[in-house]
Amino acid sequence: MDNNKAIKKEQKVFMTGNEAVAWGALAAGAEIMYGYPITPQNQIMHTWARLLPQFGRKFLQTEDEISAGFTTIGGVLTGKRAFTATAGPGHVIMQDAMSMAEMMRLPVVFIIQQRGGPSTATVIYSQSELVLTTHGGNGEGMRIVYSTSSHQELFDYTIKAFNTAWKYRYPTFVLGDGYQAEMRESLTIYDPEARGIKMVPAEPYVGADGVPGKDREPLQLRNTYNTEEELYEVMSGNIKNFKKITPEILEWQSIEAEDAEILIVAHGIISRASHGAVNNLRAKGIKAGLFRPITVQPFPDEALRKAAEGKKIVIIPESAFEQLATKVKRGMYGMNVPLDAFSMPGIGITSEEIEERVIQVHEKQMVRK
Amino acid sequence: MGSSSRIIEAYIGEFACGKSEIAINRALALLKESRRVTIADFDLVNPFYTLRPLIDKLESLGLKVIATRTEETIGLGEAGMIFTPQLKWVLRHEGDLILDVGYGPDGSRVLNLIEGIWQNPELKIICVLNIAKPITSDVKLIVEYIKGLGRVDAVINNSHLGSETDAEFVQAGARIVTEAARALNLPLLYSAAEESIAKEIGRYDCMENPVVPVKRYMADAFW
Repeated sequence: MDNNKAIKKEQKVFMTGNEAVAWGALAAGAEIMYGYPITPQNQIMHTWARLLPQFGRKFLQTEDEISAGFTTIGGVLTGKRAFTATAGPGHVIMQDAMSMAEMMRLPVVFIIQQRGGPSTATVIYSQSELVLTTHGGNGEGMRIVYSTSSHQELFDYTIKAFNTAWKYRYPTFVLGDGYQAEMRESLTIYDPEARGIKMVPAEPYVGADGVPGKDREPLQLRNTYNTEEELYEVMSGNIKNFKKITPEILEWQSIEAEDAEILIVAHGIISRASHGAVNNLRAKGIKAGLFRPITVQPFPDEALRKAAEGKKIVIIPESAFEQLATKVKRGMYGMNVPLDAFSMPGIGITSEEIEERVIQVHEKQMVRK
Repeated sequence: MGSSSRIIEAYIGEFACGKSEIAINRALALLKESRRVTIADFDLVNPFYTLRPLIDKLESLGLKVIATRTEETIGLGEAGMIFTPQLKWVLRHEGDLILDVGYGPDGSRVLNLIEGIWQNPELKIICVLNIAKPITSDVKLIVEYIKGLGRVDAVINNSHLGSETDAEFVQAGARIVTEAARALNLPLLYSAAEESIAKEIGRYDCMENPVVPVKRYMADAFW
């Protein structure tokens, strides 16, 4: 129904990151959000709930995040473009449902606005949910995770997450954080179809048309297996397929990396601070570059290796303790490039701090020479 | 209004419309006229993201600030907001009062908590509008939005795109907000714009509303 189109014409707007997510989901044609309040994602729910009567969408507030995760799965099984959003300890208890979506390969979209951890910790900000998002639950990381760094990206990747999820049928995550959630900045909101982005249609798993076995393949919706061998066979298939689609999914940004002597590897909002640092360092004559994984699962190992080749050192700033650094180490295994983990768990890192760290490392390198 | 009468203004509107900036700038402008001014933080909707980080700065500029410091809420968890007697009895404070209120209809309902507020003849509830918020981006939407807020006595055009604002955007806001204010029969007090843009536009915007230059303070609010 055209009335349901949330954005009729492209518009430059000024809003919080949470609002950008809600508008992205509206623009993507998401039909229902399930959720349970937790800072710093509350405004996604507030905004969605306020706007839904206007655009004929739905919202269910559940009793907790366990329920929010599973009801979102229920929505997806009935063929709805459904999503939820959470953070921190809520994210932890939602992992049960996330694992189920992974086991059953369901196109559920999860928005994560990271806050300080472990446990309840702070409501403010961190990057401590990186590993939880990519490899949480008792699964194998068969998930697709986009790490955003601006409001424009929160909007763009929320739309994209629905398409990735429904095209490849793996749970798909938009990984933001408390700063992005609450910061205010301008962005352009648009109707994806007007930009030539075709939304992958959602379709029901249960109650689909036709007779199973006759008109369509019979569907076995299972998250329980009787034998090790049975589970192994299913998981091997999921993993094989995940590897096959990985090259199509991988996204990264390489900024001034080619001729750089020092490479910064950062994701999310810290990649933005790092970009600022690279500009300042270049102005001072220090050859710094930036590699930013946008998909943090799957991880762009090959592109990272290429960017890191021949560098004097790779510096990894993150608002967590060696969560990204571990992924970088894995990706760069065997390369003869030293790594410097710049871990600041639960706290923001400014361009100036990154710049200072690079200068320190640079001076040490000069001495070694 | 004689200069002896006191000014009580409550600022409401969407989040990120610029309520707090407008409230701070107004309070400081009154201070310049050698008035006694108190600014009070009434954002109970999203208490973590308001005037808190600016308390010291605003006090150093000479304002009396009623707001909860983060360290005072320790132990209350993420929804930690203390509704203090100072807030409940805010009308007893002498001098002018600038109230920075939370967003949306629930935000303005907070005023119900203030003792004697609806009996106060001096109170003005002012809605700050930014056409860059999709929910208040055209005349029809603004009219619906304001009708949903309950009592509103005046509006301000604070249309902006953060650091990407230009004079044309402020003027576009002036056209839309003026038309909406006329439809609602509400006074439009002024168009607000950052100092350099205000200078570019001149004393009046394209709809003959006064232009008031504002300084940005909230950019320092690094939570």
